[in-house]
Amino acid sequence: MDVEDDEYEIVPAPVPMEEDEEKQEINQEDVWPVINAYFEEMGLQSEFVETVYKIKFGQIYVSKPIMTKADGKTTTLFPRAARLRNLTYSLPLYVDVTKEIVQRGHACEEVTGTEELSKVFIGKVPIMLRSKYCRLYGNSEKDLVELGECPYDQGVYFIINGSEKVLIAQEKMSTNHVYVFKRKQPNKFAYVAEVRSMAESHSRPPSSMFVGMVSRGKAKGSSPGQCTRATLPYIRADIPIIVVFRALGFVADKDILEHICYDFQDSEMVDLLRPSLEEAFVFQNQEVALDYIGKRGSTVGATRAKRIQYTKEILQKEMLPHVGTGEPEDDRDHYGNKRLDLAGPLLGGLFRSLFRKLTRDVRGYAQRCVDNGKDCNLHFGIRASTITNGLKYSLGTGNWGQTNAAGTRAGVSQVLNRLTYASTLSHLRRLNSPIGREGKLAKPRQLHNSQWGIMCPAETPEGQACGPVNNLALMAYITVGSLAIPILETLDEWGVENFGEISPAVIHQSTKIFVNGCWVGIHRNPELLVTTLRQLRRRIDVNTEVGVIRDACLNEVRLYTDYGRCSRPLFIVENQRLLIKKRDIQALQQREFPEEIGRHDLIEKGYIEYVDTEEEETTMISMTIDDLVSARLNPKEAYSNTYTHCEIHPSLILGVCASIILFPDHNQSPRNTYQSAMGKQAMGIYVTNYQLRMDTLAYVLYYPQKPLVTTRAMEHLHFRQLPAGINAIVAIACYSGYNQEDSVIMNQSSIDRGFFLSLFFRSYRDEEKKVGTLIKEDFGRPSRENTTGMRHGSYDKLDDDGLAAPGTRVSGEDAIIGKTSPVAQDDAEQGMTSRLTRRDHSTIMRQSESGMVDQVMLTTNANGLRFVKVRMRSVRIPQIGDKFSSRHGQKGTIGMTYTQEDMPWTVEGITPDIIVNPHAIPSRMTIGQLIECIMGKVAAHVGKEGDATPFTDVTVDNISKALHKCGYQMRGYETMYNGHTGRKLTSMIFLGPTYYQRLKHMVDDKIHSRGRGPVQILTRQPAEGRSRDGGLRFREMERDCMIAHGAANFLKERLMDQSDAYRVHVCEHCGLIAIANLRKGTFECRGCKNKTDIVQVHIPCACKLLFQELMSMAIAPRMLT
Amino acid sequence: MGKRKSRAKPETKKRMDKLDTVFSCPFCNHGTSVECRIDMKNLIGEAICGICQESFSMTINALSEPIDVYSEWIDECERVNNVEDD
Repeated sequence: MDVEDDEYEIVPAPVPMEEDEEKQEINQEDVWPVINAYFEEMGLQSEFVETVYKIKFGQIYVSKPIMTKADGKTTTLFPRAARLRNLTYSLPLYVDVTKEIVQRGHACEEVTGTEELSKVFIGKVPIMLRSKYCRLYGNSEKDLVELGECPYDQGVYFIINGSEKVLIAQEKMSTNHVYVFKRKQPNKFAYVAEVRSMAESHSRPPSSMFVGMVSRGKAKGSSPGQCTRATLPYIRADIPIIVVFRALGFVADKDILEHICYDFQDSEMVDLLRPSLEEAFVFQNQEVALDYIGKRGSTVGATRAKRIQYTKEILQKEMLPHVGTGEPEDDRDHYGNKRLDLAGPLLGGLFRSLFRKLTRDVRGYAQRCVDNGKDCNLHFGIRASTITNGLKYSLGTGNWGQTNAAGTRAGVSQVLNRLTYASTLSHLRRLNSPIGREGKLAKPRQLHNSQWGIMCPAETPEGQACGPVNNLALMAYITVGSLAIPILETLDEWGVENFGEISPAVIHQSTKIFVNGCWVGIHRNPELLVTTLRQLRRRIDVNTEVGVIRDACLNEVRLYTDYGRCSRPLFIVENQRLLIKKRDIQALQQREFPEEIGRHDLIEKGYIEYVDTEEEETTMISMTIDDLVSARLNPKEAYSNTYTHCEIHPSLILGVCASIILFPDHNQSPRNTYQSAMGKQAMGIYVTNYQLRMDTLAYVLYYPQKPLVTTRAMEHLHFRQLPAGINAIVAIACYSGYNQEDSVIMNQSSIDRGFFLSLFFRSYRDEEKKVGTLIKEDFGRPSRENTTGMRHGSYDKLDDDGLAAPGTRVSGEDAIIGKTSPVAQDDAEQGMTSRLTRRDHSTIMRQSESGMVDQVMLTTNANGLRFVKVRMRSVRIPQIGDKFSSRHGQKGTIGMTYTQEDMPWTVEGITPDIIVNPHAIPSRMTIGQLIECIMGKVAAHVGKEGDATPFTDVTVDNISKALHKCGYQMRGYETMYNGHTGRKLTSMIFLGPTYYQRLKHMVDDKIHSRGRGPVQILTRQPAEGRSRDGGLRFREMERDCMIAHGAANFLKERLMDQSDAYRVHVCEHCGLIAIANLRKGTFECRGCKNKTDIVQVHIPCACKLLFQELMSMAIAPRMLT
Repeated sequence: MGKRKSRAKPETKKRMDKLDTVFSCPFCNHGTSVECRIDMKNLIGEAICGICQESFSMTINALSEPIDVYSEWIDECERVNNVEDD
């Protein structure tokens, strides 16, 4: 009846990602029960031979990314084309399908026909850029430039309908781990142990089990003391733990105790269990215990035999016993207990559910064919759109899971941030933990010790997402996961005693071995085992990702091979000495190609290893190499003499954005967090190929400079190649008062020379949509003669093809893409055709923006429709109100610009570019900025880059001395002269080069005012928002203010006359709205037959609307005047 | 139109269903007529149908609950039915 197991042949798939999914559901065996049920009846009536279809999915194949043109032909697809033409960068997936038709009699069975369909198309899978199957994989820098790609772009995102999408890593609790918590009293339980259990290679959701110790005095009934109860899945009441044991077949008290406390001498433990044993005394055999549980299941009124069967099934399927005890309470927030779902597992899970849906559909199709007696053609049965559209939907919207299905997560896929190169990098390394943002609990938001080196301590958003959204530290590595089998074999070799062979009595004397949370056996010499395993790992005999944890307190050794653990590399230390030697470092420095000796060699030689967060607890890590030296030379005064590892560099605990901060160790910590957020808004060069891209929004700085003072980490962030700022000469001074309250004074002459000049690009797009077969939109210049619905803006800038030509100056409300559609003529009134044959659908430039058409691209999109993108460019000159910031969370807007002659100058004739107010410094304690300034001064004079890496032994004194040597005042002060008066300023001014960033917030994009303008149709209140030329809201606090002033009339004017004043006519008899014909001057209330007693009332239109809605609900709001 | 602040409904935690205390009568088939009386002092549990006054009683233990008494009754009915059949 069933398909033999060997039909389950798993063919190694070419893509490792898809391998998992192939295993899940290769067979279509679910067809049988359905088909059989149908044929069973038929077979009995006549000697009818039943026909059975077997459908198997076999080997899968993929090609390189391609696109299908409108005529059905395929062409190669490159990422650049996908981005420009709003296509999806995906590759087709094919699978071999075998169909077997089996004729079955009563006793015999024969295969009458097999059909092998090779390479059936089952869907298109979006592909990650720079992955193995991407067209950019393995291309040299030169090739990439030729393909129109930025060589610094890291890939690791997808292109869905032309927009770049990142999959944000999702955090989750690890499964198969027992957590013990103390419950806050009053509560039913005093302690609870919970485990979310999931078998390896299983994809169904983990089933949880709780074991709780009942609080003292809370127990119901006569049972004394503290009993232990278990909550089982699908069982509606808590079951005494002893009953669970009896149900599992451990009947005698001794057997049970042996499995809970291995040592009978442990009288404390036995005493704790006594009440539980006494409580369950009445159930003295397995049957009764099973029945007891079964009665509490979901079936009421079932017979005893059925109940017992039900319980057995539950225990087998839903309860995986991992029960252990831990003395100290577990830590939910420990990062060792967290797993991260990166793009691989996320996509894998999505693919799995879509593939399941596909097979379900195929089964449905097969069933329909059989029912209708038709032949089953699999080419029609396998619908490729299931997978194609399913993946596209989730990646496009971020709703992870099938449409409208329960349990979908939103925001998993996000549009890649392309403001600045650093913001892109940071976005690609972002993590999200899906805990409720509303939760008041502070703990999950706080930085946990175990996050050291894994997550950036500074880079997290402010506000609701502060804490749950994180960024990976520079050296963090998330494990990919490997199979547990090699580990199990190694364990066997090294003397782990299998679980079946040992008696419970010896357990307490030896160490328990867990692999991925499953108890696999015991070992009598854990020390030896752990050192051996670590040695094997350092020799790559065992996967380097494997985590080896020895928990001496619990007498356990835990091994982990699963995916999603966070780990980081560390130097290995033996005998207080690094294993890596000077000659290895020299070899690294002298190599010609980076491929020669790399990270891999260092791991292979056992100099470096990856340590995960749980294993880290069992290590002794020295912070610096100097600590090791002092431990060796001066063991008595050393912090430790048992170092096992050494930090590669403490500055690597920071993430992408925080690595750009200079001397973050000298700043107050929130300032580093602020800068981490602001660095993402800085303008610079976001990719080298920005001219070839048509991003909807882009900011580019005209003359970006590499910073005078850098950190070592910035080198790897390509900050020098793609900088986002300018080394400005900054004075910290009070000068004229125009830099108060976080505003700055900027040198107008510098601005005129191009200081912080920037470009702004905005792209508009449109396509010739088709409605049915007849109506098709056309690009072209609409003319006022025959087109309806034209806007009042200018259409003169359009060429005959309907597009504004590059170089055309365009401003607000100008049409830049002309498009019309035909108007149906048949319903023209009075038989004569209207002169208006077309309707306008042109794209209008945003009002309040102006610029020049930069580039126009006309192409076809995925549906073969004509598709156009027009890019507008404008130059943004710094002006009063534009926002700038240093790299230390010190933001400010320009409050005044002075020309050079009005700026203060030094004896050398240097005038600052920016003057910030000294009040910005003391309370914010951004000492890093001050050090940056003096170091920048030294760097400028020496002609070298300054090193501002945190946690180094650079001191202010050293820098000061160097500055003094250059002939300056040690601390960076300069005597300055007032630009307006020429007088010497009374105090010396702190002046020097500081790297400043121009942030994307500019007044020209924000300035807004309105006297009158558009209103909403329904309420007739002013529209909202600057883009709609909306009104400025008069809110509660403004209202309070007016009331406090007693300005009642003004208030009424604001809220009604200036908003949605309306006039209604009200019948004086009934108080309801009457019919008024103002032209004829007739007024009437039909209900009251009243034509004379009508009054005019002024009310807000929203009020009238409310009254009408009430009236529609048969409530009469009467206005009695 | 003024946008209303949309807040996702707080996820309601799936609560474990309580055990039933009223049952359907095996004799008159009324849905909720059987109630159980648990006498912990004398360790006797009794299930009575409020409609047809059929009843069943048994000895119980400290951990027994209405469902136990009722399930026992069903078993008893089953047993009696089978004896009659044979």
